[in-house]
Amino acid sequence: MSKSNSVLVIGAGITGMKASLMLSNAGKKVYLIEKLPLIGGNIIKNEECFPNLECSTCMVAPIQQDILQNQNVEVMTLSTVEKVEGEVGNFTVTINKKARYVSLIDCIGCGMCYDPCPVVLKNEWEENLAEKKAIYVPCPGSLPNVPTIDPESCLQLSGKQNCSACVEACDFGAIDFSEKDEKIKVYVGAIIVATGFDLFDATYLPNFGYGKYPGVYTAMEFERLFASNGPTSGELILRDGVKTPESIAIIHCVGRKDQGYCSAVCCMCSFKYAHFLNQKIPDAKVYNIYSDICVPDKSYQKFFENVKRESTELVFQPSTDKIKVTKNGSGLDIKYLNGKGMEETISANMVILSLAMIPGKETSHLSKVLGINKDTKGFFLTQNRNIGSVETTKSGIFVAGCAEGPKDVQNSIIQAEASVSKVINCLE
Amino acid sequence: MGEVKINNFKPKIVGYLCNWCTYAAADLAGASRLDIKPSINVIRVMCSSRIDQNLILTTFFGGADGILIAGCHPGDCHYDKGNYYARRRYALLKKVLETLKLDPERLQLSWISAAEGKRYATVVNEFTERIRKLGPNPINNNSYF
Amino acid sequence: MGEKIGIYICECGPNIANKVYIDKIIEKISSIEAYKNKELVIKNHKLLCSIDGKKFLEEEIKQNEFTHLVIAACSPKDHESTFINICKKTHLNPYLFRIVNIREQCAWIISDRDEATEKAIQYIRGSINRVSYQSPLEEKKLDSNPDVLVIGGGIAGIETALSLASKKRKVYLIEKTSKLGGKSAKFRKLLPRQNCNTDVIQKKLLDVEENNHIQIFKETELEKAIGFFGNFEVILKNVKDNNLKTELRVGAIIVASGFKQLNTSELPKYEYTQDDDVYTSLEIEEMCSQNGKVLLKSGEEPRSIALIHCVGREEKGYCSQICCNYMLKIAQYLEQQSSDIKIKEFYRDLCLPNKDDQFFLENLQNSAIDFIRIKDIEIKGNKIKYIGTDDTKKEIEVDMLILAPAMEAEDGATELAELLNIQLDETGFFQEAHQKLNPIATSTDGIFIVGAARGPSGISESILQAQAVGGEILTQLIPGEKIVPEVKVSEVLEALCKGCQTCLNVCTYGAIYFDEDRGISVVNEAICRGCGNCMGSCPSGAIRSKHFTNPQLYQEMVEALR
Repeated sequence: MSKSNSVLVIGAGITGMKASLMLSNAGKKVYLIEKLPLIGGNIIKNEECFPNLECSTCMVAPIQQDILQNQNVEVMTLSTVEKVEGEVGNFTVTINKKARYVSLIDCIGCGMCYDPCPVVLKNEWEENLAEKKAIYVPCPGSLPNVPTIDPESCLQLSGKQNCSACVEACDFGAIDFSEKDEKIKVYVGAIIVATGFDLFDATYLPNFGYGKYPGVYTAMEFERLFASNGPTSGELILRDGVKTPESIAIIHCVGRKDQGYCSAVCCMCSFKYAHFLNQKIPDAKVYNIYSDICVPDKSYQKFFENVKRESTELVFQPSTDKIKVTKNGSGLDIKYLNGKGMEETISANMVILSLAMIPGKETSHLSKVLGINKDTKGFFLTQNRNIGSVETTKSGIFVAGCAEGPKDVQNSIIQAEASVSKVINCLE
Repeated sequence: MGEVKINNFKPKIVGYLCNWCTYAAADLAGASRLDIKPSINVIRVMCSSRIDQNLILTTFFGGADGILIAGCHPGDCHYDKGNYYARRRYALLKKVLETLKLDPERLQLSWISAAEGKRYATVVNEFTERIRKLGPNPINNNSYF
Repeated sequence: MGEKIGIYICECGPNIANKVYIDKIIEKISSIEAYKNKELVIKNHKLLCSIDGKKFLEEEIKQNEFTHLVIAACSPKDHESTFINICKKTHLNPYLFRIVNIREQCAWIISDRDEATEKAIQYIRGSINRVSYQSPLEEKKLDSNPDVLVIGGGIAGIETALSLASKKRKVYLIEKTSKLGGKSAKFRKLLPRQNCNTDVIQKKLLDVEENNHIQIFKETELEKAIGFFGNFEVILKNVKDNNLKTELRVGAIIVASGFKQLNTSELPKYEYTQDDDVYTSLEIEEMCSQNGKVLLKSGEEPRSIALIHCVGREEKGYCSQICCNYMLKIAQYLEQQSSDIKIKEFYRDLCLPNKDDQFFLENLQNSAIDFIRIKDIEIKGNKIKYIGTDDTKKEIEVDMLILAPAMEAEDGATELAELLNIQLDETGFFQEAHQKLNPIATSTDGIFIVGAARGPSGISESILQAQAVGGEILTQLIPGEKIVPEVKVSEVLEALCKGCQTCLNVCTYGAIYFDEDRGISVVNEAICRGCGNCMGSCPSGAIRSKHFTNPQLYQEMVEALR
């Protein structure tokens, strides 16, 4: 049986997009599937990337556009893998494609349907810091620039009420309530898993006060709060309405001990936040509370040194699990044990938790569907006999980016490139 | 008469925008339905470093009341370092404008990233306001020659 | 044949139609005196990007046999490519087409409908003027050579060669010493999974030696390289006999020239002589793989050993990324060698950025190894003075010291960078084309960097990078396929160029060379990316940036100023 010339890429973050474009360049047909309604992944949530502070949108938008305009790449959003049969060269993949209820062909992205929609929801893509309607795009500039309808909240689709406000507002007849979820079968020769990461659930560690005190933010919440295309257009307005915090404590390594590994990028992220804060609120006092500084790239230490000099006070404490965030009047107290084992306190009105990167929620399910193994940490396992490998435990299935373990953008891209090399060689 | 003239004055501004960052920001401003003064006329170039001095001077001599050059933030250039070159050429041009007795304030260089739709609107509207206060390009009303 | 320009205004449903007066636009443009010598067809359509719209447009182009096409619609970022595809389908040169953004940058931002209409007219007129000045550019297709040259026979070079060599692609692997394998061949065990060296590195070495599609040149260096992606000509020379040369043609070059460890004698705080029992981590690896154990110069087994992290890190200004991890590995060797050895690890911060590292650390922390966090350290022979995190000064003496010196670029990096016209960054390693999006490419297309030549990396990172280069070359340099370079490139007008060479200096990609015979600059169209920086720099206006020429922009500008 001849080998299929098609490839399935799971996850349309920076890793999956890079791999898809490369494969397309080599004449492969690519099915790029993404569970969210938009492509781009986590990187587009950042205003700027460390250490060079490039604007993420400027960096990634041309890639997103290339993906959507590429004739060899078939993008399926709101899609997940349901079943995989066969072997290297000839996999049959069943994809569960959820209805978007808005036609990708007919919709031109004018956005006239949002306002009339009567349902207001929390926008989880914006880390619940903003609202959305039941028909929505996750953020301005989302690609594809076509909204989707949340069927559970939409009055019409959930059967709560006969509402067609969006249909009436749409001049293009692009909205179709009758659209159904689909099962699509594709035949591919190889699969690249690029499902990315999630962040550690901060509510799991009550000592950091997340969810209890409005001044405590997760790293991703801060990214969105800071983003010029985010919920506050980049203005630092805290949840309780306090504008411009005067002192901010950034706590490193939250969840590291529980997860059992260092997430490699959080130190740099934390220093980037200090830099951001210093740029926006030059008078603010910014603390970085750390246990070990991990800046493992030739270009990272310089950024760290600059931030240390200009934007932050470093506070060393050896045991992150002993840190306690408590309320103090309208502010917060952060209690920790210093290098001599003595308790000290820092007061701040904002706390940012640099959370561990953890395997994406779907990893367990996907590993079963694909028939590949996970490692002890829950990430996808690469073959033991090779080091520096992107090969999973099943021939023809490769893993790249943070689905394999925490890493920065360049190392994700390197794995994308490496997996493409393996795919092409295995389909020869 | 002078007063009336200034009040009715609608500046003509040419915006030379880099394809990768600022042009995308202008699009985002549009998609966000921000109000932007119709004064600006956008001309897309691949990189802010493409803007040669002749083009700017020709644009002023053609009657532009103001010129906005806008590109990626330093460090973000799609072509590595183009915007640094643009910045140097801009600094030099400012001097040239002085010698030509054109107010250097009529030429502005801004870094606007693709995510900064709002900032694009602010920059354009503020620049328009500044040019409105400066009045028409003297070349246009023959007072220059 | 005169010009016949098709002008199509997309209503974009109500998005444009309700924000401007389309009939007024059509009326105005149809009545412009200046266009009387051109044949214009001007029409509107409800939605040009729809299936109906595309069909309509296709038929219109075929029927009218337009010489030029202007579409007033949304941003080029949305649908320029859609309409370019229609141009290609109908055999209209896409460079004679222009999309006018009257949605995002007109209809959607100007609230006054009359003003928006005026603006739309202005933009459309600019483009009607401009298309007449546009040239029908054609894609060029260049033959390419799929073979590659790999510089450096360490693990990165070996893996690169293995991932690329095939029936259709020959790999030339050059190594300046007489042995392949580089430093990795000296390691006893490999991180992160403690694989045995023979299982991985030695096996790969055998694979390379036995591969018919890999030609190995030992004791060989690069002497010269010219050309561009797909077509490089290189000259190799033997390091012992410089007259022994080899000329090759390759499509790509991969630099895998490796690293060296910082010379600790350059550091004032590390004072010791050859006679002292002070070793670098690499020396210990070598000792371990040769003797199976670590011994003092006297031949006795050491009873106390200090491992010192981050030697020279401060001076170099970067973290070498893998030292913490391999120092733990060495501690483990020692622990396994004898439980009588007292091991102390002196570190500032533990940098263990791989998911498997911490487990390894935690195992060691439960053993007898003493982890000491320090603020500063000094050594003199086998005596150590250090300041702990509690700010107290302490002194100890040990039998043996093992240092983890910073990794730095190999000695020949500067020369190699010059030969290949690529850059070194401020740390002295080779610089990436784009740190994030293109981390193994360089600013010169077709030249790649892998392994520790690119920056501190361990064996597994180097292997991954080598495979990554494999991915880039397998998808860009396909045997039998031609390379299509950028079309919108710069060109030098011979009559105007006075040979000042300013443009050579500003080009990031090294796309411009100086033709000594003619005394002018010449653009290599296979390399140019079309940013136009050279044009901006040219003092005599001798450079033209195709599709963005001054006359073309002037036409747009004139309308802006009307």
